[in-house]
Amino acid sequence: MKTPLHRLLALGATAVLATGTLTACGSSDESANGGTPVKGGTIVYAHEQEPPCIFGGWIQQAYISRQVLDGLVTLDDNDQVQPWLATAWKVSPDGKTYTFTLKDGVKFTDGTPLDAEAVAYNFDYWENKGGNSTAKVSIDPYFKSAKAIDATHVEITLTHPYTPFLTLITQGYFGIQSPTALKNRSAKENCEQPIGSGGFTVAEWKHGQEVILKKNPNYTSWPATAKHQGPAIVDEVQWKFVPDGVSRYASLTTGQTDVVYDVPTVNWKEAESKFDTTLYITPGKPVSAYINTVKGVFTDKLVRQAFSYGADRKSAVEAGFHGVIPYEGNGAVSQATPDYNADAAKDYAYDPDKANALLDQAGWTGRDSDGYRTKNGKQLFVKFPYPAGAVINTEGAVVLQVLQEQWKKIGFNVKLIPATQAEVFAGKYSGPDAYDASPFYWTSPSPSILWIVWRPSTEANPNGNNQSFYNNDELARVIDEANTSTDPAKASELYQQAQQIISDNAVTLPLYTQNSTYAAAKDLKDFWLEKSQGEPVFADAYFTK
Amino acid sequence: MSIALDTRPSVRSGARAAQEAARKAPALLGKVLSAVLVLIAAASVTFFAQLLIPGDRATTILNLQTGRSQKWSAAELAPVNEKFGFDHPVLVQWLHYVGGLFQGDLGTSFTQYRPVTQVIGDQLLPSLVLTLSALVVAWLLALTITLLTVKRGRFVSGLGSSWEAVTASLPPYWVGVVLLVLFAVKWPIFPVIGGTDLWGTVLPVLTLAIPLAGFLGQVTRDEFEKVLDQPFVTTARTRGMSDTGVRLRHALRHSVLPAITLSGWALGALISGAVIAENIYGRPGIGQVLVTAVNTRDVPTVSGIVLVVAAVYVVANLLVDLAFRLVDPRLAVSKGGQR
Repeated sequence: MKTPLHRLLALGATAVLATGTLTACGSSDESANGGTPVKGGTIVYAHEQEPPCIFGGWIQQAYISRQVLDGLVTLDDNDQVQPWLATAWKVSPDGKTYTFTLKDGVKFTDGTPLDAEAVAYNFDYWENKGGNSTAKVSIDPYFKSAKAIDATHVEITLTHPYTPFLTLITQGYFGIQSPTALKNRSAKENCEQPIGSGGFTVAEWKHGQEVILKKNPNYTSWPATAKHQGPAIVDEVQWKFVPDGVSRYASLTTGQTDVVYDVPTVNWKEAESKFDTTLYITPGKPVSAYINTVKGVFTDKLVRQAFSYGADRKSAVEAGFHGVIPYEGNGAVSQATPDYNADAAKDYAYDPDKANALLDQAGWTGRDSDGYRTKNGKQLFVKFPYPAGAVINTEGAVVLQVLQEQWKKIGFNVKLIPATQAEVFAGKYSGPDAYDASPFYWTSPSPSILWIVWRPSTEANPNGNNQSFYNNDELARVIDEANTSTDPAKASELYQQAQQIISDNAVTLPLYTQNSTYAAAKDLKDFWLEKSQGEPVFADAYFTK
Repeated sequence: MSIALDTRPSVRSGARAAQEAARKAPALLGKVLSAVLVLIAAASVTFFAQLLIPGDRATTILNLQTGRSQKWSAAELAPVNEKFGFDHPVLVQWLHYVGGLFQGDLGTSFTQYRPVTQVIGDQLLPSLVLTLSALVVAWLLALTITLLTVKRGRFVSGLGSSWEAVTASLPPYWVGVVLLVLFAVKWPIFPVIGGTDLWGTVLPVLTLAIPLAGFLGQVTRDEFEKVLDQPFVTTARTRGMSDTGVRLRHALRHSVLPAITLSGWALGALISGAVIAENIYGRPGIGQVLVTAVNTRDVPTVSGIVLVVAAVYVVANLLVDLAFRLVDPRLAVSKGGQR
């Protein structure tokens, strides 16, 4: 809500009155409670990272493509799949065929009809044309084909029954794009300006600064979870990239932006009292360290367990994140994931005595001059690189340093190595020789993420995501059985059993949940987050006066 | 400082000027050629340096597209290698790249699929505005403070030199955040996220200018103090010249020379170091693009930006030479013969 006039008024007001916070519209009193809804206006949103493209397999891309593209189905707050472009669907008795009925008369913003052909084309694009590798890996072993039956019916065939299928396609990676645009435009155009049927279109991308999203006035295909029927209420969203957390939050307190992403945890308490805040705990794999099970000290299960027992992760997380971000004791999936095993999360409560006993039992009984444990003259050394920045922020790094001190007391020499984003993306710390432990997360609305992360890696079918290099056939069998079970109760039991196996073997070091925090000005109503991975939704939001 | 450019502002007849130009043409051509060589060398060194960094480019591209950190199989890497030509010998890749440079083609960004000229072009103007303004403001601050405080008694001089020492050693990030908290939040005079408009440019400029001003001021002050002790200054004073006159007309010219030399360096350093101010104030600029491109191993973009920064250095050094002649006529005399 910034026009030059507003800014001048704001300036004049502050110069004369020297008041503190200005709200976005310049009016302040009524906006606190309700107020009169206003049509139109511009939402200014400050996001953190600028992705290379507006569509792709990185969550940074899903955040923004969600504004432009619609999906077949969506997830409600109770993790139930709800209609979107598909008004209804039917699953065959053998669980292998999904027939979706599409909403009639929907058009992409380039005029192409959004019909069954278009949907089938998108599945083929993700799966076989490199369109979206995260979409691909989510459905990969199970997806067989997609074909149009008639204009409004599309049939997806799977190789095996796959219960999480519907839940997985609620993620932003599965946004449906215009086949005309994908086929006829350059890679650059499809990167910068994907064409969907969503509530907004990409009007302009000022690189390094912002993406301007304009309202799609002909919007007809809002999801069942939408908070209003019809095209977006605001005219425009300015999606700004502000990498610095201090500035992002300051832009909200000064009324320059209406919504900000990732509020620094030191400001969280204040933000809760001044703004409408949301803490979204991401389902999927939490921030937990992969433990190298094929090389180094952690090939011994006793040492892995000692490592988990040996530091007070819960207290360190609570202190390091000012009590804002929850500790997560289950390294396999986070507490926001369906079929979460809460008991497994309690397995390795801080117990230094037990850790010491396990290390003694494992034969690490010697001590060197620095007080670290040794075995056969070798030091109990742990190389612990972590992706500094977007994955482990400065607060997360402090948590690791606190843990490092505690591990030292029981005899571990843990070497923390902050890895730059360049090194991480280049795969510098990705092989069995590169680390003993290294943290990462993977968002997913379904416990089937377990299959992506823990599927055994074989010569014929390597699994680069299994970064603990842990091949456990029993675990694989349980997960696969859960994925293909048509009985939800049975599936849930099996998923929990899989989490227990992962915990028993201590092949991850649980740390904390992956989160997104948002704060919105009080005069902005009906700004909400979708459930699958916390993508912001602006199509229902409106200002009040 | 050895580039010979005659800048004598004398009036010449047309014929003589043409003669002069003809005589100088080879020298000028040499300058241009050497500048071009410097630029190609800079781009090539960057090109190869990036290939030497451990980690495979195709792996980076795939990990970036998916937000992961893993190893990929040869089958997964092959199409990417083919698409970007990584499967050709390095020398062929380099020749292709340098060949493109001569046609004004800096290649295509690996991550944004846009021509690098466009990736940089969008960001160059805001960067130049920011860095040039920062340099000008730094000079104004440095000169004002030096002129007002140098050799003005122990207290005032001490105040001036302490200010310089403190500001020169301030980390720019800290300066930026303090300015933001004071002048955008506590007293909301300026916007937090300024974009490229004039009002929003003030705080980013100050963020870069304040530490630089301290630095330039320190150098100028040392020189100024020396000059004020020179015999010709004493002579001028005995002629009855006022203190202000001495400072402005005699001492200033001498004392700014080291700072002018440093400005060439400062301009180049500012343009690549501006990322701090850009990040804090959400401002576009090639600093930000450079950091992202390095992080994502976007080789053509990184090389392109290095090329641009090198060009800025080259131009800045030419300007420094020119400025030297304007400020210190002795140089023109010694190079250009009798006046």
